[in-house]
Amino acid sequence: MQTWNPATLPADDNVNPHVFCVALSGEWFMAKGAMLAYYGDVRFEAVTAYSSVASWVAARFSSPVYVQDWVVAAGHGKVLLGDRGFDLNAYDLDDGNLTIKANNLLAFDQRLELKQSIVPGFVTLLGTGKFIASSNGPVIFVEPPFRADPDALLGWADCPSPSVHHDTEWMSASMAGMLQGAMGRASGEERQYDFTGQGTVLLQSSEIAREDPAVLRLIESQTQLLTTSQAGTLGQRLVARAQQQQH
Amino acid sequence: MAQLTADRRVLRADLHGDRIRAASGSMVAFEGDIDFKSAGMGAGGGMRAALKRAVAGESLSLMDCTGHGRAYLAKDAMDVLVVDLAGDTLTAESQHVLAHTDGLRLDVQFAGLRGMTSGQGLATTTVTGQGQVALVSEGPIMALEVAPGQDLVVDPDAYVGCRGQLQMGLVSGVSWKSLVGEGTGEPFSLRFSGHGLVLVQSAER
Repeated sequence: MQTWNPATLPADDNVNPHVFCVALSGEWFMAKGAMLAYYGDVRFEAVTAYSSVASWVAARFSSPVYVQDWVVAAGHGKVLLGDRGFDLNAYDLDDGNLTIKANNLLAFDQRLELKQSIVPGFVTLLGTGKFIASSNGPVIFVEPPFRADPDALLGWADCPSPSVHHDTEWMSASMAGMLQGAMGRASGEERQYDFTGQGTVLLQSSEIAREDPAVLRLIESQTQLLTTSQAGTLGQRLVARAQQQQH
Repeated sequence: MAQLTADRRVLRADLHGDRIRAASGSMVAFEGDIDFKSAGMGAGGGMRAALKRAVAGESLSLMDCTGHGRAYLAKDAMDVLVVDLAGDTLTAESQHVLAHTDGLRLDVQFAGLRGMTSGQGLATTTVTGQGQVALVSEGPIMALEVAPGQDLVVDPDAYVGCRGQLQMGLVSGVSWKSLVGEGTGEPFSLRFSGHGLVLVQSAER
């Protein structure tokens, strides 16, 4: 049986397809729960707590919605990362930008800057540095023009944010039936993300999605756009939906 | 002598007129002439262990497999690892034990505070003797060495088992609490010191 110790563990490389080893010397941002084990002298601080010690943290981590799901790992040692047994890959950004599903981002080094994407559930990394992301099955790279299933979409690099495309047949059917019934008639595939322009789209070979707690906070923050009466209407609809699901 | 061989997510057990014990319901196929029978209360360590197990909430249900032939064993498409023991002790969480050969003895050891915090009951299973034990894990198991001055800290959810002269301590505090998710993770992690091997899986339970 192969055994590992701090000297034989790889530095910033995969131990096996599902585990990545970060040779920590300084600071990394890491998602909560991504750490499996570590050797050495490593401290983990909430991003919120660490920003009071190091002011650069606030400049690098520019997403209030995700801040509570992340920690700063500081110190020296070897940190092993894993995510639900998914495949892990490290990516190097060279003065570039890449947008990725927030759930699949495990860690990134402190030279990179994180921003919230306009597409809900996605974050954008900017600058030069290394990050680690998970995918259910191997990552598939495609070039636009391309339409992707929102669940299988892992991220995109160097191309403009996608627009939402609705299946033409489904659109004409829902227009004919007036939009009110539209929500009920879903095959699950009529909504796609449409990519145009230059760049690369990243897909994973599965559609299993995990509940992202940040989506709730994100949508809640957007309800500020509503007027008081609109917010009341939304509230009533949500209550009606909750009651309907109970029966 | 019965032989256990791991083949990714399936365990092959070759029986030559002898006996192995396997987790109940883990048989997926067999060829030859093999009898499967519930080992009942005696599942390792006799009545005393069964009683301890009932008190401690450590659940491990085993069946006896006897005869001639080959049995294929598996559990939830998890990865399989076979560990050879030569008189030493392996400690493992009971839900990771898939099968073991006849020369080994299973017992229950109280885990104290750790079991309480990780919600897996108060006890863990120890495997002692001469033979083979098969473990299952979410993703392949990594064996991490612990030596003096080379402590290892492990997420309780990723911990599978350990062997050697190891002391297990709890790490808590603000630093660790901030690392695990709100409400979902445990407020503790495990720190291993001493000399031995710690088995870690690549997914949290």
